[in-house]
Amino acid sequence: MLSERLQREALSKCIVWFYDGNVRTFYSLDKTHQRAKANKALGMRRLEKMLMETFKGQWETAIIYENKVNGNELARFKRGARV
Amino acid sequence: MKKTTNHKLHFDYGRVFQSTKSFIDRHNSRQSQLTQKLNANHRATAELIVRLYLKQLNKAAQLDQLDTKSLPGFNTYNESLAKCKGCTKRTIINHRERLVNARFIIKENHCGQGGVEIWLNPEVLGMAKLSTTCGDNVMKIGEVASLFYEKAKNFHPLVHEQHEQENNNSYVDKSVTSETGQHEYGVPAGHSHGLSEPNPQPTHSANATGTRHEQDKNTEENANPASNRQEKAPEKPCKAEKQEQKLGAGRIFLLTLIRQFWAYARKVLYPDLVLSDREEKEILNLIWESVYGKLQWQATEKECLNYQETAYSRINMVARWLARSPGHWIPKPHIYFHPNNERNGFKKTWLWYVKQETLKLEIRNQLLLQQVKTEWQQHEQDKGRFREKTRLQLFRIQQKRLAKYRDESLNQAYQQCLHRCLHLQDLKRKHHA
Repeated sequence: MLSERLQREALSKCIVWFYDGNVRTFYSLDKTHQRAKANKALGMRRLEKMLMETFKGQWETAIIYENKVNGNELARFKRGARV
Repeated sequence: MKKTTNHKLHFDYGRVFQSTKSFIDRHNSRQSQLTQKLNANHRATAELIVRLYLKQLNKAAQLDQLDTKSLPGFNTYNESLAKCKGCTKRTIINHRERLVNARFIIKENHCGQGGVEIWLNPEVLGMAKLSTTCGDNVMKIGEVASLFYEKAKNFHPLVHEQHEQENNNSYVDKSVTSETGQHEYGVPAGHSHGLSEPNPQPTHSANATGTRHEQDKNTEENANPASNRQEKAPEKPCKAEKQEQKLGAGRIFLLTLIRQFWAYARKVLYPDLVLSDREEKEILNLIWESVYGKLQWQATEKECLNYQETAYSRINMVARWLARSPGHWIPKPHIYFHPNNERNGFKKTWLWYVKQETLKLEIRNQLLLQQVKTEWQQHEQDKGRFREKTRLQLFRIQQKRLAKYRDESLNQAYQQCLHRCLHLQDLKRKHHA
């Protein structure tokens, strides 16, 4: 679980609907080190890696959004594949 | 070279030594890494082997008739070679290994107690086809590309070779010029954001500082790939527009080239990939840096289009390579096109491309030389198209034809070929007399 500050500062977030009925939100880590500039693509790649490797076979749908109010949808995943 | 006197082979030491030297020089000029080159010590071992081998061959030729097509190998022992040279056995083994890698030794046969049998490259003994590849192939193939590829580090030679006419490190001058070129035409810091903002409309914001930013050094030192990119990803419209203003339409043209390149690469190499805008922008930035050398060359549109063609053909090569075996794979685009990826990046295909083009040139040259040779033979027998011409006229015709290709190495090979043809004719005449 990320701290509130990191959740606030994250550039993207991922909402995952698991097969067991759980729904969880994950926030991206967009920096390679503390003082680096944030890289949105890096954060998205990391979220994708989490979905494909850490939670492989456990989720049905996952959507990555911009981490702001009414943020756009950036990527959508269904049953283990990007659509 | 061999001389046929009384049908017995005889190898002239001087000539074989010369061809040994030119073989090693040529090999060194082709290599960019110091560990691949042959230094003065390897040279000495090669010459020792050649000397002893020729001695053996000449002796054998006196006793028995030798076939030029299948010469016997050089029988030797590591220890005796080591003793001759005044070094250890291990050194000889290492040197032999290096010579095998350089294709100076083409085959080795280890006979245990019976020592080693070595076959040298027939080119060294002056029996092979004339080689037509010397000089810098990269320069020949693509002038634009040669500006930012082949930037091998320039080392000082390990051993000072006084008798050396041509320095192994002849890349020195070239890399210096390309470097200075970069400094001369160095772009302002905003250059790095070229792809973030495709909008070509210029604004009236002037170049703020006018200071020049050494991009190359920054990126070379920055080992962390992601932090590297982070400078590029966010949009900085004003800076991008500033440099649009500076470089004008050429800039837009070059950026479209990059977009076309990525569209093609994506279609061919990553057909199933789904990417968001941000990820695509990042990849375009990587391509801009790794494939197009940050567009720091001042080339004409035609040269750029030529380079674009080479880039496409490199992608095609990769696609063919992928199709060849299910075990072949390439990493995801943000890794594949990363400028710091030395292991499995797109950069490596440049070497494939150079190799392919060199081979094409070599084959073309060999065909031309073959034609020249047959023409001389036919002329000798009063046959063929040029039977009415004198020798000088034939020479002029051939010279004119070959000059069209503007290839220095082809000219040299032609001279050698001519020398051989005429020399053979003289020998035949003497033989008849």
